[in-house]
Amino acid sequence: MAIPLVPKLLRAHLAELAAEDMRHDGRGRFESRDVELEIDCLTRAEGSARVRMGDTIVFAGVKFQIMTPYPDRPNQGGLMCSAEVRPVAGRQWEPGPPSPQSIELGRVVDRGIRESGCINTEDLCIIPGEKAWQVILDLFAISDDGNLFDAFALAAIAALKSATVPAERFEAGEDMPLEVSKTPIMCSYHKVGGRFVFDADKREELGGDERIHITLGDDDHVHSLQKGLKGIFTAAEFAEIMNEARSRCAELRDLVDKAIEGE
Amino acid sequence: MGGYGDVQCIDENGIRLDGRKIDEVRPMSIEVGVVPVADGSARMKWGLNDVIAAVYGPMEAHPRKIQRQDRAVLDVRYNMAPFSTTDRIRPGFNRRSREISKVTAEALESVVLTELYPRSKIRVEIEIICAEAGTRCAGITAASVALAHAGIPMTDLVVSVASGKVHDIVVCDLNKEEDNYGEADLPMGILPNSGELVFLQMDGDLSPDQFQEAWDYNMEAAKIVHKHMVEALKRGEA
Repeated sequence: MAIPLVPKLLRAHLAELAAEDMRHDGRGRFESRDVELEIDCLTRAEGSARVRMGDTIVFAGVKFQIMTPYPDRPNQGGLMCSAEVRPVAGRQWEPGPPSPQSIELGRVVDRGIRESGCINTEDLCIIPGEKAWQVILDLFAISDDGNLFDAFALAAIAALKSATVPAERFEAGEDMPLEVSKTPIMCSYHKVGGRFVFDADKREELGGDERIHITLGDDDHVHSLQKGLKGIFTAAEFAEIMNEARSRCAELRDLVDKAIEGE
Repeated sequence: MGGYGDVQCIDENGIRLDGRKIDEVRPMSIEVGVVPVADGSARMKWGLNDVIAAVYGPMEAHPRKIQRQDRAVLDVRYNMAPFSTTDRIRPGFNRRSREISKVTAEALESVVLTELYPRSKIRVEIEIICAEAGTRCAGITAASVALAHAGIPMTDLVVSVASGKVHDIVVCDLNKEEDNYGEADLPMGILPNSGELVFLQMDGDLSPDQFQEAWDYNMEAAKIVHKHMVEALKRGEA
C-alpha cells in the first residue's frame, strides 16, 4: 500500500471537529455506519457472506479441503484464514504479494475466531491420523472506505455459520452444516482528533492515529486484542472503549444470528 | 476441451443442461457503481458468473518506465477470487490470469481514447468472485461498462461473448459443462455499433461451416448483451 500523504489540514480539521465532539460525516463518537449483512451470496463457496458498512464492502468465502492431520494432533482438522485486499478495493492498494496491512487483517480476524473456540477442530477429523477437514476462510475486500477489520470479522463469522461441509463431493459421507458454537465479534476504535471513535471511515483512518481492535465472544469473553499504528493510549481510554465494545458486539451478534436464522 | 466424457450436454430435443436452446444466452444482469470508492465500476452476473470490475484513473503512471509520452496506458488485472471455483484457487497471479489480463488490456486499449491522457495510467481491476464458464468474456464486458461509468472517453463499448461446440453441435454462450466437455470455444470481443472485433481467441476443433455458425451466434448474442450494458449505464445515470 502506498503510504498516503496525510495533509496537516485534514488532521487539523478532524481535531477541530473532535473539540466540538463531532465527526466529519455527522455521526456520534460511537455511532457506526449502516451495516448490511447478506449470507449465501457466492454460489461456488460452501459458505459466504457480504458485508457493507457505509462505502466499505467485503466478501467472505468458505472452502473445504481434505488434509492429513498434524502428527502431534492426529484427531484434529484445521482452520485457515487469509485476507486479501486487492487493488480493486481502492487506489492506494497496490498489486503484488500480500502487504503487511492485509496480513495483519487476516491474522487478527483469524485469532478472534480461532481463540473463541467456535470451531471444534476435533469435529473436523474424518479418520484419525489420516484424513481431516481443513476449513479455509478467504476474506476479500471489494471497496475500502475504512474499517476493513470489523467488516472482515463480521463477514467471516457469518460465512462460517452459513457453511456446509461438502462431504458428498469428497466422498466422505453426507453433507452437513459446519458446527460453529459461538459468535465472536470484532469492534475497532480509532484515535481521531485525540479521542477514540468507533467504525472510522477512510478519512478518519488517514487523519487519525492508533487503532485498537477488540474481539469479544459470547458472554463478553475477550478473545483477541490488537493495537495498531503509532500512538499512545491510557488505561482509562481503553476501559471506555472496552465498555462500548460490549454493547456493540451484542448488537452485531444479534444481526448475525438473525441472518442465519432467516436462512 | 476434455472430450465427450459421460456427460450428455444436449438432449434429443436440443435442450441444454441448463434448459436453454442452442442459440440462447444465459440470463444476465449488470449493475454500475458497485465499488463506491472507485471512479467507475460494474458488476455483471451472467449465468453463475459473478464479476466485479473497477476503474481508477486516469492517474499518474508509476513506475515511470511504464509511461508513454503520447498516450495513457491501461493497467488491467484479471483475477479469480480464491472461493470463485469448486476447488479453491491459491491467491496470486498465474499464467492463465496474466494472459487474460494482457488480451483484455489490448482489447480495451483498442477503444479507449488513450491519446487524450499522455503519461498517465488507467487501472482496470477485474475480479471474478464466482466462476462458471466465460469469465474472460464477462470480465471484458464488465470492464468496458466500468470504463464508461468512470467517464473514460471510448469509441464504443466492448461486448464479449463465446460460442462453441459440444457433441458436434454448435451452441451459443457455453456453460460450465459445455466448456469442460465440449470440443471448441470461440470467445470474441465485438464493437456493437460497427460489428468490428477487438478480441479473438479460439481453441478446439471447428469445421468452416461450424466456425461461421459460432461466429454468427456471437454476433447475435452481442446485441442482447449490449442492450443490458446500455440499460445498466442509463440506470446508473438516473
